[in-house]
Amino acid sequence: MSTPFGRAFLGLVRAEARAFRRDRVSLFFTVVLPFLFIVVFGLVMGGGGEAVPVGYAGGSGSDGATLERVLRETEGIVPTRFPDAASLEAAIGEKKVGFGILWDGGRLRLLYEASRFQENSAFEELARGVVTRFDLARQGASPAVALDEIPLGNPAAARSFNEMVPGILAFSLLTAGLFAVSGHLTSMKARRTLDRLLTTPMPPLGLLLAVAVVRLAVALLASLVILILSQVLFRFEPTLDLGKFLALALAATVGMMGLGTGIALLVRRPQSAANVANIVSILMMFLSGVTIPVELLPPFLRAVSRGLPLTYVAQGMRHATGMEEMSAGRFWAIVLGCLGMALAAFPLLARYVVRPERR
Amino acid sequence: MRPALSFALAQLRVTLRERETLFWFVLFPVLLFVLLVAIFGSLGQEGTIHFEVGFVNRDQAAGEAGLGRRIEGILEALSRPAQEGKEPLLHLHRPAGTENLDVFRAREEEAVRYGRHALLVVVPEGFSAGVLDALSSRPGVDPVKVQVFRRAGSSSSGFALLILKQVIAGVDQAVLASAGRFRPEEAVLAETTFLGSPAGTEVRYVDFLLPGLVLMAFFTAGLFGVPGAILFAREQRILRRYWVTPFSVPQFLAGFSVTHAIVCALQFTLLILVGRFALGAEVSFASPGAALFLVLASLTFLAFGFFVASLVQTGAAGMALANAINLPMTFLSGLYYQVGTLPGPLRVLLAVNPLSYLADGLRRVIGLQGAAAPLWLSVLVPILWIGFSLFVAGRRLSWDVGR
Repeated sequence: MSTPFGRAFLGLVRAEARAFRRDRVSLFFTVVLPFLFIVVFGLVMGGGGEAVPVGYAGGSGSDGATLERVLRETEGIVPTRFPDAASLEAAIGEKKVGFGILWDGGRLRLLYEASRFQENSAFEELARGVVTRFDLARQGASPAVALDEIPLGNPAAARSFNEMVPGILAFSLLTAGLFAVSGHLTSMKARRTLDRLLTTPMPPLGLLLAVAVVRLAVALLASLVILILSQVLFRFEPTLDLGKFLALALAATVGMMGLGTGIALLVRRPQSAANVANIVSILMMFLSGVTIPVELLPPFLRAVSRGLPLTYVAQGMRHATGMEEMSAGRFWAIVLGCLGMALAAFPLLARYVVRPERR
Repeated sequence: MRPALSFALAQLRVTLRERETLFWFVLFPVLLFVLLVAIFGSLGQEGTIHFEVGFVNRDQAAGEAGLGRRIEGILEALSRPAQEGKEPLLHLHRPAGTENLDVFRAREEEAVRYGRHALLVVVPEGFSAGVLDALSSRPGVDPVKVQVFRRAGSSSSGFALLILKQVIAGVDQAVLASAGRFRPEEAVLAETTFLGSPAGTEVRYVDFLLPGLVLMAFFTAGLFGVPGAILFAREQRILRRYWVTPFSVPQFLAGFSVTHAIVCALQFTLLILVGRFALGAEVSFASPGAALFLVLASLTFLAFGFFVASLVQTGAAGMALANAINLPMTFLSGLYYQVGTLPGPLRVLLAVNPLSYLADGLRRVIGLQGAAAPLWLSVLVPILWIGFSLFVAGRRLSWDVGR
């Protein structure tokens, strides 16, 4: 870096770092938003206790005792007894319990809160299990057939929060790369800063490299902060493969810059490009398995998900942090796919975006 | 009054000409509405979820006594679509005719481990005979087990497992009944009731979401619109030009409030039209209670916008602060989904968040949910926020650069 080009490149990197620090939108989406996600989701899901609180009432005789025993023996729920139906219904309305079971001596009433649509289907499955066991226990029968559950993979992944952290890391990489081009470069172009830089001996590729270096450094720093925060505050237990993590972070950041190139080519106004990048990142956040498992999406959105690069980057990140098993071939295919996106897009970026504006 | 209305009209024209404002205040809530309904509208419902399940039957018993075959038959039935054109619940992967069962099992185990398949079900050798032995011995002996491999932490594995548990429970009851240990005719009657909706049925997500998104749209109009308009106009010395005319700050505020109200009305109309005609929402806002909450929400967020504007000096800082506030406030208020039991620090945020009270009150008056908090509290907390916001803004917000 002692050559004139090296010094100029370092100067450019420093200038880019300053520009990033001042670009509040990029700063927000790359650093603050993932941080907020970790804090919010960590507080909501990080406790580790994901058993469903269930309220029950009624049945003071032997049936009541049987129901109580069945509820206590059912895995995945934490039963609480209520003195009467009214107090049970109030607790359901106040969301103190997930659902309620009321035994009136002849029938079981399964009570759900009408607007808990995101959880009610799982609650109904749990309740059906309780009804089945209660039915058998009431007649003095015990099951003749049962399931022997054998979990595969990293047991730490059983905590939803642990599954989510790598997804948020991937999202941070997405925004770092995406906004580098569709926000920052288009904005430089609109302000004619790009024109001035292109009159210097620095080639367009050098400029792109400086942008990529800064965004990569920011993405890595943000990832590091997220990892430390998740471990210290919310007991995230990654089994980090540093080599794979760095390779994926590098490939994903430049790959997402390639995606940003597509936006910059389609939308020329910097603010519009930033808006489109915003929409793309929000869509990907919802449809790539970062916040909602892909398997639970309706069929057409699952098909959309398969076409989104963040889906694969999030899978790769889960693998690099030890949360998801994956064949080595698949992991490196994801890394190469991201690099391929960058390789395909960078010549277009250099030719059509990083060029002097025609007067 | 005329200068205020003229200003309101001019401000409205500026708002409608700005693509960014139009996009974030008008188009974005609609896009989010469509996206969330597409994702959550049918979450977990048969026909929209689908699981890949491997099945190995090592049980040799055939015919009526073959329990492995019976389980396979039920899973086969679940592999057929419940309705024409819908996706079946399961896709069953079984070994091809001459395929080695161990090889198939290892391959399926890997598919589960790598997340390609949700479950692998293995009915062990001698399963039916084992069950018969258990039935012929005294009650209370350990049940005979079907092995099920699932991936730790996988939602699809978890959902598929809940379904499989029902299948196994059904087989178990049938087996016990055939042995005379269970009398199906004496089985308890289970009745499902959904509390908090007038019809006693589950609230549809599109109906639940519509009032939440209306409030979100009002909120963003206040949170981003007010600091954006005032701070940038102050920085660019546009406000200073007003003050050299007879136009006063109260007239400015009146005109600004009228513009905010019109933008809110526009957002409301558009969301209702999209909800009703494109997404099938049926919820009605035609009641005095709903109108009261909509007006209260619009005023609360207008005042809140002034409060945010008073905390910072520049437009860029105002936007950064608004962005940082926006996410926790909207996520932790039950606008998009029901907020259940939250841990301590978040419960505090929920308790002071005006959005959660407005969402709760609005949904309650339009018959979408039961009482989570008293209705008077849903009115009082936003009014307190209006008072607090205006008090702080009145003391801190300056109407000119360097004044």
